[in-house]
Amino acid sequence: MSKTIMAIDDSASIRQVVGITLKKAGYEVIEANDGKDAMDKLTGQKVHLIICDVNMPNMDGIAFLKELRQNSNYKFTPIIMLTTEAQEGKKQEGKAAGAKAWIVKPFKPEQMLAAIEKLILP
Amino acid sequence: MALDPVIQTFITESTELLQEMENALLELENSPDDKDIINALFRTAHTIKGSAGVVGVEHVERFTHAVENILENVRQGKIKITNDLIELLLNCHDHIAKLVEMATSDEPLSEDFKSTEDDLQKQLHVYLDAVSDRRIKTQTKEPVAREPEFDSELNTSSGKTVKNKNWHISLRFGRDVMRNGMDPVSFINYLSRMGEIISLTTLTDTIPSAEEMDPESCYLGFEIDFKSDFDKQTIEDVFEFVREDCKICILPPRSRIERYVHLINNLPESPLHLGDILIKGGALTPSELDEALQMQDVETVSFDDGQTEEHTRKIGEIFVDEGMVHPPVVDAALEKQKEQKEASSRESKTIRVDTVKLDQLVNLVGELVIANANINQNAQRIHDGGLDESTSALTRLVEDIRERAMQVRMVPVGNIFNRFQRVVRDISRSSNKDIELIVSGGETELDRNLVEKINDPLMHLVRNAADHGIEYPEERITKGKPRKGVIRLNAFNDTGSIAIEVSDDGGGVDHNKITNKALDRGMVRPGQVLSEKEMYNLMFEPGFSTAEKITNVSGRGVGMDVVKRNIEALRGTVDVESHEDSGTTVSIRLPLTLAIIDGFMVGVGASFYIIPLDMVIECVDLAEADRRVTDKRNYFNLRGEVLPYVRLRTLFRENGGKTDYESIVVVQATGRRIGLVVDELHGEVQAVIKSLGGIFKHVEKVSSATIRGDGTVALILDIPKIVESMGGVEIKV
Repeated sequence: MSKTIMAIDDSASIRQVVGITLKKAGYEVIEANDGKDAMDKLTGQKVHLIICDVNMPNMDGIAFLKELRQNSNYKFTPIIMLTTEAQEGKKQEGKAAGAKAWIVKPFKPEQMLAAIEKLILP
Repeated sequence: MALDPVIQTFITESTELLQEMENALLELENSPDDKDIINALFRTAHTIKGSAGVVGVEHVERFTHAVENILENVRQGKIKITNDLIELLLNCHDHIAKLVEMATSDEPLSEDFKSTEDDLQKQLHVYLDAVSDRRIKTQTKEPVAREPEFDSELNTSSGKTVKNKNWHISLRFGRDVMRNGMDPVSFINYLSRMGEIISLTTLTDTIPSAEEMDPESCYLGFEIDFKSDFDKQTIEDVFEFVREDCKICILPPRSRIERYVHLINNLPESPLHLGDILIKGGALTPSELDEALQMQDVETVSFDDGQTEEHTRKIGEIFVDEGMVHPPVVDAALEKQKEQKEASSRESKTIRVDTVKLDQLVNLVGELVIANANINQNAQRIHDGGLDESTSALTRLVEDIRERAMQVRMVPVGNIFNRFQRVVRDISRSSNKDIELIVSGGETELDRNLVEKINDPLMHLVRNAADHGIEYPEERITKGKPRKGVIRLNAFNDTGSIAIEVSDDGGGVDHNKITNKALDRGMVRPGQVLSEKEMYNLMFEPGFSTAEKITNVSGRGVGMDVVKRNIEALRGTVDVESHEDSGTTVSIRLPLTLAIIDGFMVGVGASFYIIPLDMVIECVDLAEADRRVTDKRNYFNLRGEVLPYVRLRTLFRENGGKTDYESIVVVQATGRRIGLVVDELHGEVQAVIKSLGGIFKHVEKVSSATIRGDGTVALILDIPKIVESMGGVEIKV
């Protein structure tokens, strides 16, 4: 059974690029616009990994991470944060919240896939 | 990867974000310290840049990056918002918009374009250079945060290397690894793809007894001997996500023995135990271990435990310091976010639907309405109680569906109103006027297809008001008006239609100017007295412009007539009201939707006609007796008021059987009332509008047609046209 990955980004084009890349690599993809949307869509089903933008309206990536870890279903779900180099402050804040895997935008599709493969078993 | 659809998404998304950016910049002009606006502004640039980078539109990414840099500094309070900066950012916004537009073309950027970009970049750098000192400081702090490398070149003289040709990796996972969503096994799995794992020993020394063990913590450590041709960096990168929490030490093949000494010293396990593992894995030979352990004694003397401990603690402190350099977002911001959450949770539940799909839905609903009318007619013929009941239930549902389907296409008109802020701002700057645009009723909803089509006419009107309406400040002051001119854009619902008003408090329309101009153009005869209404109508004639000097904003002689034509094409009307020195108001009235209208059906002879319901005022009987009197003078006494009327039978040359009884439908359009004499009143209907097609383009007095339940056609009357055509009919008294 293929693994499910949730992609959260307020930018539709990034969601699309991430979505296409992941589907090509054989993953199931759930997309969400922001942290709030993602929390709404996470209803207990198994998600193997979450890719999440940091700077988003409604609920940003860090607030999302904090809330996600409160939910026993997703306490151990691997999460990759997307960031840009301009957000050093945010990155520190995210690290304090337990976000350890970061990908810097713009990233190449292979880069993202490599990061995913480090975190979840095939 | 075929990115075409992604680029399309990128363009749509960026266009929306650019609009947001522009709005935020304009808002910022009034409240330069508003943190929310600054954050929103930053996010627009940030998202455009991020998306551009991922989608691969490099020139957008490159330029937006510079803008984002500025905004990041603004956000941190390092750059103050000034009017000049807003001006610069608005120019940058325009430039990004052009870059986004060109995202699909492969053509190289023109020289002209490049020089604009260079110019903007230069201006941006002036701001950035001002804060660059501080930037260097933060950058130098970065390396401190990193763990000191175990394997940094030791300067010990002995150059003896071990015989082992494999990499040696020591891993001690941090307690929180699993809580951070990391699975130790998956890293080792990934490692195994890059080479061959010769030996792997799992260290369980730190696992506490069952009662003390926290099942969510990770207590594992690994000693791995690994054969691979990859370089150190690549192997290190396998563990990039856990590097911060874990003790990781990677020794290249044939490392010097001191490195192993250092390794043994730095790992928590007892040296003897570790030594055994190293020998077992083939990293060290027993004699090499002996040598290492001897050296370790020396190391511990010169570098005793207490110091090492203190050293590590210091790093911890630096970490904390580093954390304090970037304090978490101010509490106030979080508080705000919470408030916004409720409001915006509704927004996040929206989906994007292709408008084509919506149009198809609305068309189908139209067909449904027609089919329903058909059923109703048949049911009326059959006269069956049960059937009547079900058809009336069906009709109610169909009506609901129709209403909902139309609502889906409704969007707030405010979306386009906000675009005009920029227009007014630019005009007031370039013409040295002081103008404010006040927008109200932006939440009024209008069919999406209509909204797009009124953009251009409204743009003309707003430009006209700013350019010709509002006077120069000096002139205003001598007139005793406030220095700042005001243009109001207001939308509201008005009996089945939507009204949009563009008004200004400027000089008003100069009647003499219009009359002279009209005389010049031969539009009126000398000596002809014009009513106010006729005079304003002249303004909508093609080629009519009273602007004495033509500016680049408006007054090219096209405009008002185009405005009128566009609005009328949408079944709308335009009216002007103006008072000298107190301003001009242009009112546009539009139907709520283009697809289905509530109509009032009347019968004349054998034909059916539909009058848009919102124009119907009342119906009165025209008795036989009255007819004989009134027919001689074609007006009617409506409760003491003179009401001109027209007989549809004559107007459309209907020659079906005459009835004894006729009715008058009183209609109102463009501020005038007239009566329409008809044979029969059939009451309210929902009319699905079918356009008449190109051949009937020149047919006046009929705007479109609709299909009735039984398949026959009913014509929808163009009431404003009919009212207008009555203008020439003189009332015979």
